[in-house]
Amino acid sequence: MGKMAEYAFVAGTLSTFLALVGYVFYALSGVRAARLAAAGVPVTTGRVGFVVGPRTTSIGHYATLLGWLGFALLGASLVFRAIATGHGPFSNMYEFSIAFAFGILGAYYWFEQRYHQRVLGLLALPVALALLAYAATVPAEIEPLVPALQNNLLLTVHVATAIVAYGSFTVAFAAALLYLAQPETGRWGLPKPEVLDEIGYRAIVVGFPFLTLVIILGALWADVAWGRYWGWDPKETASLVTWFIYGAYLHARVMRGWRGRKAAILLIIGFAATLLTYFGNLFFGGLHSYSGLG
Amino acid sequence: MTQNTRTQKLAAGAVPAPGEADGVAGVDSALEQLWHVLTSMKLALVLMLAFAALTLVGTLVIQAPAGVMEDPQAKSQWLAGIRPRYGGWTDILDRLQVFTIFTSFWLRAIGALLAASLVACTVHRIPGTWRTVARPRIDVGPAFFEHAPQHEAMTFHRPSDDVLETTRRVFRRHGYRTLSLDDGTIHLYFDRNRWAPWSGLVAHAAIVVILAGAMVGSLWGFRDGNFMLAEGSTSAIPKVAGATITLNSFKDTYSPTNGQPLDYVSNVTVAQNGAPIATQDVRVNEPLRYQGVSFYQSFFGPAAVVTVKDAKGAIVYAGGVPLAWEATGGNKVGTFALPTQGLTAWVVATTGTDDPAIKPGQVAIELYRADTGDPVVQKSIDQGVATTIEGLTYTFEREAKFTGLSVANDPGTPIVWLGCILLVVGFAVRMYVPHRRIWGRLAARPDGGSSLAIAAVGRRDSGFDAEFTTLVTDIRQAVTAAARS
Ligand code: HEM
Repeated sequence: MGKMAEYAFVAGTLSTFLALVGYVFYALSGVRAARLAAAGVPVTTGRVGFVVGPRTTSIGHYATLLGWLGFALLGASLVFRAIATGHGPFSNMYEFSIAFAFGILGAYYWFEQRYHQRVLGLLALPVALALLAYAATVPAEIEPLVPALQNNLLLTVHVATAIVAYGSFTVAFAAALLYLAQPETGRWGLPKPEVLDEIGYRAIVVGFPFLTLVIILGALWADVAWGRYWGWDPKETASLVTWFIYGAYLHARVMRGWRGRKAAILLIIGFAATLLTYFGNLFFGGLHSYSGLG
Repeated sequence: MTQNTRTQKLAAGAVPAPGEADGVAGVDSALEQLWHVLTSMKLALVLMLAFAALTLVGTLVIQAPAGVMEDPQAKSQWLAGIRPRYGGWTDILDRLQVFTIFTSFWLRAIGALLAASLVACTVHRIPGTWRTVARPRIDVGPAFFEHAPQHEAMTFHRPSDDVLETTRRVFRRHGYRTLSLDDGTIHLYFDRNRWAPWSGLVAHAAIVVILAGAMVGSLWGFRDGNFMLAEGSTSAIPKVAGATITLNSFKDTYSPTNGQPLDYVSNVTVAQNGAPIATQDVRVNEPLRYQGVSFYQSFFGPAAVVTVKDAKGAIVYAGGVPLAWEATGGNKVGTFALPTQGLTAWVVATTGTDDPAIKPGQVAIELYRADTGDPVVQKSIDQGVATTIEGLTYTFEREAKFTGLSVANDPGTPIVWLGCILLVVGFAVRMYVPHRRIWGRLAARPDGGSSLAIAAVGRRDSGFDAEFTTLVTDIRQAVTAAARS
């Protein structure tokens, strides 16, 4: 089973990489379409919010299929690994990084399905690939669990909810980057700013209650294991920082003078805080030092 | 009418204070002002970001261990330890309470402001939410049906009561409640999930509940993170009269491959007035709870079982001494009191083999005056050999283990969990169960037909756009179908 997990991980990574290559070609075909449009060749614009040009949609289609395949393979890898270890993907950075990448792909495809903005994949997939590359460099051995982690159900749920939250925050980050990369009026070939704003918001709407749940489950676990639900452990604190930034974003988005660019900047800061929360245990120490790298 | 405009009004309302316009100066208008500030979204946003920034500092700058800053000597020692890293900033950061940021004035002040703002906002939003839910405005002007983000005008060759009936049926099928008002023109109001707006208020109030629970815990709870018990020893349970806890045995196991700890277990017995109540294994993730007091496995180490007798052979002290501290040089040390002699005894054990004063199999006994702390005498004794020091005989019986438990009683915890449940449920409902509202205007036409306009102010939300479109299509089809039959 451990070997199967390895193979599925490698295959999933490869598939995701090929998907990214597909998205690059897809985007380049968009640039070509923009040039054609500038030259006066007729270009079709679809329903509100969707820009459909004479892109090579079939490339985009294959890229999507490959990405789905990567998602499925990484999921399989996690399942094999769980069978081999007997617990969820929470005992070291290897397992958790694959789970995070899996979450990003899942969140991304959920949004691609609804909003058909493949250009976002150009930004979301590299984040997933970076995590997979990172997973490939850290020890993957199956070790017995340290006592604090021997609470299977609570931790599995804790991590599963974290994956949903982090995955959707990555999508929001990608949307915010694209939002900031263009003028208010939009730029041909990129998703429209209103659509990006909505995707970013939707992603936080999905992720925020999950992040709330992650923090609460973490507090519950801390209460069971150490007898206190909150101890300002660096990882706890970083997740609270993240929670407040996204909370601020949700308010900013309905306030005059804050919606739009400032809100998008909060999404970028929020994602930086997410990464700090995620990688924090590598340099903070503290009770969450389960990285297996010490 | 929408959440958006309501919020804008909130923010805009911060500018004029109504009290002043009436010429009512003084306290009322000051309170009014305060209320406006506390209910402003801008303040909420700034406070949230400030809270995030402060706690972030707490993860990036080293924090003093609990208790160190209250003890001047420990404090200067600790500051000296970090001075190489922070240089001349050390004292400035210390003065600004950066090393104790989580208990600092700054964090408490912002937390208090946030709590005040949350209470104010929640209370402030109750009347508006009540109106939206219970007494929505049904008749909106005709302009609304041209300018709303989602709007559609339809004309039918059917009389208006027919169209009204059909439209109502379609909305009901989609889960909407329908309200109407007839003043020549029929005004229509449809909504779905009308209780959902309360969930946002519940979630905000939940944050206050959590803070209240934390407050209760810090006022009436207690925690001892250093409750040590050697094998065979018994100790009183704090806060529970007549209750004791005994460590029967302690076991730790390690992974043979990488030496990581696999398990550590304290087997303990709880007794009430001398009668055993329960015996249980305590491990990480498996606390022992008794009468509201919980024991958590926290740390462990070696102990020395020592017996002390006086000249007549009566036992002065007998029990395991946890060797929980480390002396310079790595020796493990522990302490116990001999109150009748006015002495404090320290037991020192070597970890290495090259200590000239203490040989393997020995421990050193060091005696100090309990009142002054002056050293009295120091002597190494062999295991199992009764040795007389200053009129008492000391025997180092054997080595043992001690367990370090965290003992806590936090009456605020249930309140915190209640707040957490309200928080998650509140936000989840607020975000996944939107309150949908659609207005309609139905008028008879001179030709016997009728015209129906419907409009909505959805937030930017393609899901609602799609739902609106579906409703329009369904109404058209239903009216046409009714006409044919
Ligand atoms: C720890 C502090 C707070 C957190 C975590 C928080 C979180 C949230 C969240 C998640 C929403 C839902 C946004 C949405 O669904 O789009 C929201 C809405 C709202 N919050 Fe807060 N909030 C906090 C404090 C405050 C304070 C102090 C105020 C008072 C000014 C406030 C006023 C509002 C209002 C008026 C809304 C409604 C906005 C809307 O419905 O779109 N919040 N808040």
